[in-house]
Amino acid sequence: MMTMDQKTFKRLFFEKKNGRSILKCIQCGTCSGSCPFGNDMDHAPRELFQLIRDGEMEEVLRSNTPWYCVSCYQCMTRCPKEIAVTDLMYTLKEMAVKNGFAPSHKMPDLYKSFSQTVKRFGRVTESLVMAGYGIKHPLDAMGALPLAVKLMFRKRFEVLPQKIGQPEKMKPFLTAGVEKEALE
Amino acid sequence: MTYLFFPGCAYHASAGYKESTEAVCREIGIDLKAIPDWNCCGATVFMGMDMDEAALLTGRIFALAEKTGNHDIVTGCNACFTTLRKFEKKLKEDQALQQTINHKLASCGLGIKKISRVRHLLDVFVNDVPDSAWEHGRKNSVDSIRAGGYYGCQLTRPEGELSHPEQPDILEQFISRLGFAPVDHSAKTMCCGASHAVPYKKQSGKLIKRIIKGISLKEADVVTTICPLCQFNLDNGQSGLPKGGRLPVLFFTQLAGISLGIPFSDLGLDKLLIPFKGVLKHRR
Ligand code: SF4
Ligand code: SF4
Repeated sequence: MMTMDQKTFKRLFFEKKNGRSILKCIQCGTCSGSCPFGNDMDHAPRELFQLIRDGEMEEVLRSNTPWYCVSCYQCMTRCPKEIAVTDLMYTLKEMAVKNGFAPSHKMPDLYKSFSQTVKRFGRVTESLVMAGYGIKHPLDAMGALPLAVKLMFRKRFEVLPQKIGQPEKMKPFLTAGVEKEALE
Repeated sequence: MTYLFFPGCAYHASAGYKESTEAVCREIGIDLKAIPDWNCCGATVFMGMDMDEAALLTGRIFALAEKTGNHDIVTGCNACFTTLRKFEKKLKEDQALQQTINHKLASCGLGIKKISRVRHLLDVFVNDVPDSAWEHGRKNSVDSIRAGGYYGCQLTRPEGELSHPEQPDILEQFISRLGFAPVDHSAKTMCCGASHAVPYKKQSGKLIKRIIKGISLKEADVVTTICPLCQFNLDNGQSGLPKGGRLPVLFFTQLAGISLGIPFSDLGLDKLLIPFKGVLKHRR
């Protein structure tokens, strides 16, 4: 689903999403070198920012990079130009999901299962999030079964959902009345 | 001392965090009152899906806290702490955002005017509770037990208000105050992989092994954590290691309970995957 061209995405990232800060990037690589998942990313942050400047937005939004970002803030703490790398990763995640660029990655499925649980109950219960994710990734879910058994023995496996007083109000509270542009 | 408590979703089913927090707080006279009807803070997930929804989730928490009278909000989870603290700042700085949130909160009879300060339970234990309460409360002699403090990534970052973002020492201070022997090591703030341990198990496994290796090298007997997710990853993530090479991973509240002589059964120690039992005997 490619609704927009690369230029439009770049403009969106730069103008609406505070992406202009990457113009300060000196390509020192401190972020990539500090990143716990730098080696697993298609393009670690330094390289990603150069791709954005080059206008390669489709490559950027399809890459696994934002999904490997675990929000550890190590890069942000160390970046000599004080670029809010982690926050920019959030922006890219949001842009990728909302414009259909993320279907080949696993993490967005976990995110979806998590957020659906929150919208339904107001709180998160691990087993429900895993169940929602496991439908799409049965191998991962099966791999987690021995652990589930260990947790049950220790009375740590919750089956019943934790919830707020009026869970039915959570979804409308979060979603109703907000004009959502497809882009944002 | 009364605080508003934000338990977070992982608190109840974690390996004795709830039991030990309650037991220790009772012992030293801290009253943690859960924010009535608290909801999930959205963690890092909502920020990556929809920033507006993320702001609404935390906004509701701040509003509920305000309704009870603006005490500090205390939480024991690094992810909740960082998420709430992030929006504490955002909402204070961005009046337009506050207005949007208030508009929606009004539909639930809520609103925010003054935003509570967000703190970590460790901060309260170290900076609000007088040293003497810990030092005089010691019942067990634990000075031969070497504890490696593990902060995880988010407590001190990005700004590092609480302790140095790369070389923090607040947890070591607390470990010493309890009478344990703190060990210095290189993995204090390395990331445990957080929820990446589910979809990216292999890659996260490497991080966890690196952390345990760093702590083992300094001959620690136990690891102590301050976050349910860190505790879970480090405890569960050692299952591939040989039995003799595994380190029990305790919450800092469990260490406190042991020092204060609270019975193990009240500290939820039986909920750990790697048992603690052997350590006391071995070191005596
Ligand atoms: S650390 Fe900062 S300046 Fe250096 S490459 Fe990364 S984003 Fe650019
Ligand atoms: S915040 Fe994300 S990009 Fe930055 S170091 Fe951590 S995982 Fe890497």
